[in-house]
Amino acid sequence: MDKVVSLRWILGIFTALFVLFLYGPFIVMGILSFQQGPEGGPQFPIIEWSSYWYQHVFGLAPPSRVAPLPIGEALIRSLTLAFATMVVSTVMGVLTAQAFRRPFKGSAVVFYSVILGMIVPGVLLGLGMVLIADQVGVARNWWSTAFVLHVVYTYPFAFLVMLAIFNRFDESVEEASLSLGVSPAKTFRKVTFPIIFPGVLSAMLFAFTLSYDEFPRTLFTGGSDVTMPIAIYGTFAVEIHPNLFAFGVLSTLFSFSLLAIYGILLTLSVRRQRQRASGLQEDIS
Amino acid sequence: MKSNKRTWLLLSPGITWILFFLVAPLIMMIYVSFWTQTTFSIKPELTVTSWVNFFSSDTYFGALLRTIRIWLTVLFVTLLVGYPVALYIGQFIKNKTLQTALLVTCVIPFWTSFLIRVLAWRPMLGKEGAINIVLQKIGIIDAPIEVLLFTELSVIIGMVQIYVVFMVGPIAFMIGRIDGSLIESARDLGASSWTIFRRIILPLSMPGVIVGAIFVTVMVLGEFATASALSGRKVNLLGNIIITQVGSLKWAFAAVAGVVLTIVMATFVAVMLRIVNLRNQL
Amino acid sequence: MLEVKGVSKSFSGVPAVEDVSFKVEQNEYVTLLGSSGSGKSVLLRIIAGLLTPDAGVVLLNGEDVTDLPCHERRIGFVQQKYALFPHLNVFDNIAFGLRHREVDPIKNESLVKQKVSETIALVGLIGQESKMTGQISGGQKQRVSLARTLVTEPKICLLDEPLGALDANLRERMTIELQNIRSELGVSFMHVTGNEFEALAMGQNMLVMSEGRIVEQGIPQQMYATPSDLITAKSMHNFNIFSGDDLHKHMEAGTSDKLSAAKIKKAMHCAIPMDRIDIVAASAKAKGLRAEFLTSEFLGNKIIYFFKTEDGHVCEVEDHMSLRERRELTASTTYALKWKSKDILYYDENKQLLG
Repeated sequence: MDKVVSLRWILGIFTALFVLFLYGPFIVMGILSFQQGPEGGPQFPIIEWSSYWYQHVFGLAPPSRVAPLPIGEALIRSLTLAFATMVVSTVMGVLTAQAFRRPFKGSAVVFYSVILGMIVPGVLLGLGMVLIADQVGVARNWWSTAFVLHVVYTYPFAFLVMLAIFNRFDESVEEASLSLGVSPAKTFRKVTFPIIFPGVLSAMLFAFTLSYDEFPRTLFTGGSDVTMPIAIYGTFAVEIHPNLFAFGVLSTLFSFSLLAIYGILLTLSVRRQRQRASGLQEDIS
Repeated sequence: MKSNKRTWLLLSPGITWILFFLVAPLIMMIYVSFWTQTTFSIKPELTVTSWVNFFSSDTYFGALLRTIRIWLTVLFVTLLVGYPVALYIGQFIKNKTLQTALLVTCVIPFWTSFLIRVLAWRPMLGKEGAINIVLQKIGIIDAPIEVLLFTELSVIIGMVQIYVVFMVGPIAFMIGRIDGSLIESARDLGASSWTIFRRIILPLSMPGVIVGAIFVTVMVLGEFATASALSGRKVNLLGNIIITQVGSLKWAFAAVAGVVLTIVMATFVAVMLRIVNLRNQL
Repeated sequence: MLEVKGVSKSFSGVPAVEDVSFKVEQNEYVTLLGSSGSGKSVLLRIIAGLLTPDAGVVLLNGEDVTDLPCHERRIGFVQQKYALFPHLNVFDNIAFGLRHREVDPIKNESLVKQKVSETIALVGLIGQESKMTGQISGGQKQRVSLARTLVTEPKICLLDEPLGALDANLRERMTIELQNIRSELGVSFMHVTGNEFEALAMGQNMLVMSEGRIVEQGIPQQMYATPSDLITAKSMHNFNIFSGDDLHKHMEAGTSDKLSAAKIKKAMHCAIPMDRIDIVAASAKAKGLRAEFLTSEFLGNKIIYFFKTEDGHVCEVEDHMSLRERRELTASTTYALKWKSKDILYYDENKQLLG
C-alpha cells in the first residue's frame, strides 16, 4: 500500500512539472512582452516594465528601428476567411452527419475520406493544391485556393461533432412533428435544429479557431495577400522583438475570449430554458 | 429507394468538396512526382528522374533520415512523458471534476495559435533564455548550456511540448474508462501494483497509445515551421525541403518528397491499425 | 374510416408484418394486443406513414394514402415515450401542430390560444402551460403528448403503448380518462398495447397480433372467455394450455366428468381457465391431475397457486377472494387438480377453436 502512496506522489509531482513544461513558454512570453522598448530585447533581464510593445503592436508607438507587425489587413483577411470557413464547414458537417443517421452502403468509405481531410498534413495538401492550381491556371488567393483547403481541414471536425450530437438525438420528436402535419423541412427548422444547436455552436467554434490559426495550407495556397499566421511566420525569418510576444499574448487572449463567448452562448441557451420554466413555478407557489 | 436518394443528396456537397480539394490534390501530387523537371518549368512527360535524384542526393535522402530520426525521437519522448501524466489523471485522480479540469488544462494550449507556441520557445531556450537563467540561479550549472537553441535538441523539445497533448488525451481517456472494480478485485486477489499495471492498465490503455501515436506521427511528419524557427534553419526536414522546392518552382521534386512522406506516414498508420482495431474501441 | 388491406413489411428479408387486413370504424376505440416483437409497432408506423409497406394499401375514408408522406395524412400518432419537444414549454408543445402544419396552419394567435386552452382543459393540464417538459411528471407528459395530437383534430389517433411508462395507479386512472376524452371528441382511437388487461378494458373492438399477423379480431369479452385462436388464449394469460403427446392423458386425469369424445379426438391443444380448476388432496381414490404445489401469489382481490405436473408442466389456479377463503396448501406436496368438461376449450392442429 505504501508503494502506491509514494507512486501517487511521484506521479503527482511529475504531472505538476509537466503542466509547468506546457505553460512555461507562455508565462515567459507573457513576462517578456512587458519588456522595455524599443531598446529592450527578447530576453531576460527585464530592463524596465512597460507596455511599449503592446502600443507597438497597435501602431501607437513612435516609429523606431523595429518595423511594425504587418497585421492590419492580414487580421481582417484572417477573420473573414475564418468566418467563411466556419459557415461552409458547419453547414456541410451538419448535412453529412444528417445523412449518416441512416445506414447506407459505402458509409465507411465516405467516413474515412472525410476524416482524411483533418489527418493529411497541411504541407502535402497545400502542395497538391498548388500543383493543381498551377496546371489549371488558377491564381492562388486566400479567398479561393486557401479557402477550399481550410474547409477540407475543418469540415471533418464539424462533422465529427455533429455525428456525436446526432448519436444522442431522439428521432421520435421528429416523427412526432411529422405526424402533426409539419413538413420535413419545417420539422428540421423548428425541432431538429433547436435541439442540436449546442452541437452546431461547438462545430462553429472548432471551425473558426482552426481556420483562424491555420498555417501550412495557407502558406502554399494563400497567394501574395497574406493572412495573419503567414504574416507572423514571415517575421520569424528576421530577428525577433518583444512586439511578437505582445502579439502572442493578445492572440492567446483572443483565442480564450472565443472560448468564453462560446461558453456564454451555451449557458445562455440553457438558462433561458430554465428561466422560462422557473418563472412559472413562482406563479404556482 | 427514396431515402437512399435523400442520403446522397445530403452527402453530395461534402463528397464533391472532398473529391475536388482533397483526393484530387493528393493524386496530382503522386502524378506530378513522375513529371519531367527542367530548371524553370515542368513537363507532363513521365519519368523517374526526380525519384532517382531524390534517393541519390545526400541532401534529400539525409533529410528523409533526419525526419525519421526526429519523428521517432519525438514519438518516444511524448509517450515517455505523456503516459505517466495520463496514468496520473486517469487512475490516481478519483474526483471527476478535478480529472476533467486537469485534462482541460492539458488541452488548452492546443487552443492557442500554433506559431505563437513555437515562438514562445525562443526566449526559453536561448543562451540567455529562461531555462539557463533558472538553472544557473539554482546552481545546477555554472555556464549556460549552449546546445539548447538552434539545434536538433531545441526542435525536439519544441515538438514534444506542442504535440504531447495528443498523446496524453487519448491515453488518459482509455485509462479513465477502466472499471475501478476490476483493479480493486485484482488487488484483493493479491496482485501487486506492477502486475496490475502490466496485466490490466497497460493492455487496456493500448488503443489510447495507438491513437496518440498516430496523431503525433501525422503532425510531426508534416512539420516544418518548428524546425525552421527553433533550429535557425539548420535542421531541414522533408517538410522544409518541400517548402524550398516549391519556392524555387521545383514541383516534381517537391512532389517526390511529399509522396515519400505520405508513404512513411501511411505505412506507420497501417501497422498501428493492424495492432489495434480502432473501430471496436469507439 | 381506416382500412388496412394486405399490408406486409419485412426488414432485410425478415418479415415484421405479414398480410395484415382490418378496419377501424368512425368513432370507435380499437385496441391492438401483441407481445413485443409481434410487429405491432411496425404496423402502427406504416399506418402513420413513417414506414412504407412492401405490399398492401392503407385507406383513409376510402382514399388510398399508402404513398402519402406522414405529414399529409392527418393521422395522429401518440408515441410510446411521449416524444415531447424538449426546447418548448407545455403550451408551445401543444400549439406546435396548429402553428406549423403544412395544410391550413393557424396564423391567428388568439385562435391558437383558444384551441390550445380548450384541449388543455380537456386533458386536465390547466396551470401547467408554461412549464418546460422536463419539469412535469410522467402522467402529465402523457397528457401533453395526447393534447398535442388531439388539438390538430386528426382523422384517427394512433396510440403506441400510451400507458406503458406510467405506474399502475396512474395507468388505471388514465384508462378511464382516455375513454372519456375519446368519446367527447368522437374521434377514432387505435391503441396498441402489450398488456391484455389494458386491451380488454379499453377496446370496443380488439385485435390480437402475433408474429406479424392478426390472429383474431372481435369483442373483448368474447375473446377473453372463448378465444377462437390458441395464440389469443395464450396472450390472455387466463388459461392453462395443454398440448402434445400427454394431452389426452392429462385431460382424462383432470376432467371430473365425462370428456366430449368427439372433440378430444380432434384436439391438439386444450385450454382450461385458471379460475375453473379445483384443488383437492391427492388421496388414492381422488380423481384429478397430480401436481406438486410450488408457491402462491396473493394479488389482493385474487390469489394464484402454482403447481408443477409430473412431466414438468406449470399449472396455475386462480381463486377470487370474494368467492372463497385462502387455501392452506403445503409446498412440495402433491395435490389433485380437476375441472369440468364444459370449461375445456379444444383447439385443432391449426390452433383454431373447435366449435
